[in-house]
Amino acid sequence: MENNKSLFADLALEKATDIASALAPPALDGHFDELRGRTSAKTAVASTATLSQSQSQAQSAASPAFQSQSQTQSQSQSSAPGQPADLLSKSWTTFFNFLGTDGFHDLNRRTANLRRKIRDNGVTYNVYADANGPRRPWSLDLFPMILSPADWAEIEVGITQRTRLLNHVMADVYGPQTLLSKGLLPAALVQGHPGYLRAMQGVKPAGGIFLHIAAFDLARGPDGRWWVVSQRTQAPSGLGYLLENRLTISLLFPEAFREMKVQRLAASYTALVDGMRALCPVADSRIVLLTPGPYNETYFEHAYLARYLGLSLVEGSDLLVRNERLYLKTLQGLEPVHGLLKRLDDEYLDPLELRADSTLGVPGLLQVIRAGNVQIANAPGSAFLESSALLGFLPALSRHLLGETLAMPSLPTWWCGEQAVMQDMLPQLKNCVIKPTYPGSGMASVIGHTLSQRALDEWAGRIVRQGEDYTVQAYLPLSQTPTWQGEKIAPRSAMLRVFAVPDGAGSWQVLPGGLARLAGKNENIASMQHGGSSADVWALGGFDQTPPAPNLPASARAAPGHHAELPNAHQATPAHAANFLNRKQPVTSRAAENLFWLGRYTERAENSLRLAQLSLQCLGGEDQSSQPLLAWLTVMAVGNSLVLDTVPPATHARRVFERSLIASLTNTEQPTSVGFNLSALKSAASAVRERLSQEQWHVIVRTETDFLSRCAAFKAEGQIAAHAMEYSPVEALRALEAASGFLAAMTGAQTDRMMRDDGWRLLSIGRNIERLSMLSDALAKGFQTGAVFDEGGFSAMVALFDSTITFHAQYHQRRDIPALLDLLVLDRDNPRSLSWVIHTLKNRLTKLATSTSSDLTDLAADLPDPAYWVLTGRDTLLPASGADSGANSDYADLVSQLENCQASALELSDHISRRYFSHATSANHSLVT
Amino acid sequence: MLLHVVHVTRYQYTPWVENANHVVCLTPASKTGQTLLRHSLHISPTPAQQREVVDSYGNSRCFFSLQTSHDVLRVVADSVVSTASTLQDSDAAERSAAANRLDVPWERVRDQFRYRAGAAYSHAWEFLFASPYVPRDDAFMQFAQPSFTPGRPLPEAAHNLMERIHSAMVYESHSTEVSTPALVALTQGKGVCQDFAHIMVACCRAMGLPARYVSGYMLTQPAPGQPRLIGCDASHAWASVYYPALVGSDGAATGLWLDFDPTNNRAPGEDYVTLATGRDFLDVSPLRGVIRGGSQHVLDVAVTVRPIESLQSLESIDSID
Repeated sequence: MENNKSLFADLALEKATDIASALAPPALDGHFDELRGRTSAKTAVASTATLSQSQSQAQSAASPAFQSQSQTQSQSQSSAPGQPADLLSKSWTTFFNFLGTDGFHDLNRRTANLRRKIRDNGVTYNVYADANGPRRPWSLDLFPMILSPADWAEIEVGITQRTRLLNHVMADVYGPQTLLSKGLLPAALVQGHPGYLRAMQGVKPAGGIFLHIAAFDLARGPDGRWWVVSQRTQAPSGLGYLLENRLTISLLFPEAFREMKVQRLAASYTALVDGMRALCPVADSRIVLLTPGPYNETYFEHAYLARYLGLSLVEGSDLLVRNERLYLKTLQGLEPVHGLLKRLDDEYLDPLELRADSTLGVPGLLQVIRAGNVQIANAPGSAFLESSALLGFLPALSRHLLGETLAMPSLPTWWCGEQAVMQDMLPQLKNCVIKPTYPGSGMASVIGHTLSQRALDEWAGRIVRQGEDYTVQAYLPLSQTPTWQGEKIAPRSAMLRVFAVPDGAGSWQVLPGGLARLAGKNENIASMQHGGSSADVWALGGFDQTPPAPNLPASARAAPGHHAELPNAHQATPAHAANFLNRKQPVTSRAAENLFWLGRYTERAENSLRLAQLSLQCLGGEDQSSQPLLAWLTVMAVGNSLVLDTVPPATHARRVFERSLIASLTNTEQPTSVGFNLSALKSAASAVRERLSQEQWHVIVRTETDFLSRCAAFKAEGQIAAHAMEYSPVEALRALEAASGFLAAMTGAQTDRMMRDDGWRLLSIGRNIERLSMLSDALAKGFQTGAVFDEGGFSAMVALFDSTITFHAQYHQRRDIPALLDLLVLDRDNPRSLSWVIHTLKNRLTKLATSTSSDLTDLAADLPDPAYWVLTGRDTLLPASGADSGANSDYADLVSQLENCQASALELSDHISRRYFSHATSANHSLVT
Repeated sequence: MLLHVVHVTRYQYTPWVENANHVVCLTPASKTGQTLLRHSLHISPTPAQQREVVDSYGNSRCFFSLQTSHDVLRVVADSVVSTASTLQDSDAAERSAAANRLDVPWERVRDQFRYRAGAAYSHAWEFLFASPYVPRDDAFMQFAQPSFTPGRPLPEAAHNLMERIHSAMVYESHSTEVSTPALVALTQGKGVCQDFAHIMVACCRAMGLPARYVSGYMLTQPAPGQPRLIGCDASHAWASVYYPALVGSDGAATGLWLDFDPTNNRAPGEDYVTLATGRDFLDVSPLRGVIRGGSQHVLDVAVTVRPIESLQSLESIDSID
């Protein structure tokens, strides 16, 4: 790219590492510079190192000493004296060498690729977690964060031990409670924490494993060491995003990725599911992923993980408790569930015993858990482990429970509920971060040195009054990792989230990678909610990885010749080993309902598009003065809510009608407007995203945004210049044509690229119900208005049935009613003839009935069959040929048959809903007396 | 005293309920001064599944689920309890020893419940913190403070607090909902027994003292020559304050829970039956449930408490029900 070449032209450097050096300013003073492997500091970084010791025996008494170790870096990070100041670390040197100078010139193109991929894959982070809230595209930096083998070894040891410790703490708290009785853990952090669940007291999960997934946020201090800042255990997010990051970034730097021996992630994901499966009491176990639903901020990840791990994605209403056992409601009936990977916060899990107002949970679930009838990752009640306050107590807990000192330190942390500790900390707030001890306070962390003296005093006052609410943590300048900013490399403060999962042998392993969260420019808080970015994390192995780890189950090992590469989670067919168990994914009742509506909205969108197109073409075309045609268009447009019924009919005010039709295209408040249908289609699809391929989802999203933005554009023009209104039918037609193209891709994918299971059958039934209803109605109205007897109306009808080409081919220039009915009603080869639609519906119903063992024969039999409609002879529905006066009244019999078709379609829809979806929709209520 | 308690809960639903999960907390406790002699629970329609558990507070609960459509749920808890006023029933020596020692200043109890490394632990810590229906608020602290003068023995201070709640609050049936938090009741100055109890619990916790919520029943028939007490249509509730570590004759230190009924401004005696104890109402609500369907319901609760001569005297009555 030209502008890139000019970018480096004046650098005149030959080596990529030199270019990197030249383009990368050093990290801020006092921050560890990941790129150079040492701390940027001309002066000592001791300002945070002077916190005094606390007087507690239980809270950590270690004094933090974040000393700069620029002279004493170990191994790969060494920066020997005498070398140039901007020498890169060993890992980054290797990375840039593989990138090469050509690669440097290619970085902006790769960034564009990256953005496109994220948009195409629909990776989003729903910031405010509400239905209409902005779904922000996921933000990912081009450069990975690279961890040397030594870094990784340190993290692995520290995190494995810590997860073991937290699991022990949880087992003690819900078991003998010795930590409380010995005073090693304050009751304020257990019973005083809202996340402590009394209903879990005495529960011992299988294998003693409470924590199947633990997430830790780590930061590298100026001393080059890693520190634990916080931990997440309830429903940690990130496992899906980090996988997406990996799939994206590894493809952009294939050579470096391969040659640097970046550790692979697949085995850890397998271990998570296999670990749960191994603990399930039955061999043929079913594990599902429980999500709060599409409005959750990380729903993308839930759908993504479910698809990748090969688990059914379920919401609380998909599950049911019977006799202390958990079941999934499917089209085939209740299917037992043995494992639950939950992404729901604990308090919402069971409205019977926890939050009564929760509509996301499963009534009775805690009874199932207590009875040991379901494995749940993680066991409910872990939220108290997430409190920052716990960090200060962990060293003593580790000595007591494990007889070990902590391999990786926590950031020095003091809980102010202990008088002596609080008194010690009050004078030192300036050098610390003040954090809430408990969730739900709404308080954000406060960095002491950013506060005025007055503000500090106010905080001190609050801490004196309610010390237990506050936890004070030493301030650590985060290490800064290189990011690509279009023309230069910019250091950004980074927080690393890593994940521990069971290793299958009673302990834990650390997923070799992670999610790096990057702070914005000049910020030191890394948060996705606050506009930060993320980066892939490359943990370098430093050894050959081809032999599989011995403790992994066979299914996790790569096939010969297969380089343990990640299966692509974007494929609709999960490549996960667990799926070799050759089991069909059940179709949950909720998914079935959404698929049914996806089908109906797809067809409805197509119909409304075609009708709108047809209307605009006719209004501007040569038949614009045909009254029957205009009358037919008007009743169709009103009936399908393309215009409001208050709009004067096209027969009276053609232009007004046309304008209001165009104005209503995007009116999403008007049910069944084109815009409404497209957005309803998307929302039905979003509820079954794990069943759709990424491409399919991508088309759905693009259809809506493209249509809305085109309409918005020509509307804006229309407002600026009055004469532009003349063009708007042309522009509107163009937008409609584009949307039709997208819809064709969508229906193509539905026909061709979906598993033909019962879910798909319901989708197809939904489409055909809608088609039958629309077309029989259109035809009936064509006769009632007399439009079919008119040349323009006749053509429009054929066009609405999407049968223009066929008609011309079969009937040439004939325009008689029998020919019309032959093609649009009777022809079994025309996928839009009523016969074909009804025949297809009957077929689908029969197959659905067989596999769901429900009796649908009456439904199929009740459908009218146009094949038996008599169109000639004595009992004909048509007027005798001689009597064909073109008067609509002559066709009363036919019209009534057509109306019967439409009524049957709607009746069938009601039947299907009652039979398959009623239990998925009726709501739970809580009672308390 | 021998007390027969019949607690009937009836829900009438419109439309019918398709299925339901419930948990009831209707089995009276057996504890010092109270013995459960007989108990039965009748549920209609007959549950598909039912399980008794003891919760983390030691209360008996019964979980049950109904899988068939129904328009009426009827739960009858029938119990016979033998009661004694708590300290009366202990042996005389222990009683006098206890009475002598009930002079520990409230501050000393508070200090015992301030965490420091290696601090002694007791189950009473469970009742020190805010809970869903008893949130922490300065209003409780302000209300409580006049009762907790320096050096005042805890029982005396708590008694004074009870008196003050009783006189500051107006008892008014149906003035609050089961879900009304203590703070709302305090602000509006009126409530039912549940609110009185919550306020007392909240005030004690605000002073750093463990306090718990007790659900139960009281005999509302006036004893001869006694004024009629304010009754509760359904169950009753009061507060219980922790008084620590009386060293018994065996050298073991056990805490005492001192009961206070701010609704009636008296200490519960043998005419009270303890059903369950918890942090607040939500922990011990008599019946909870999640139903599918039945968007509207009518609730009817009837409690009868009456003294009986002996268990045998009940037999004839049983045949009536």
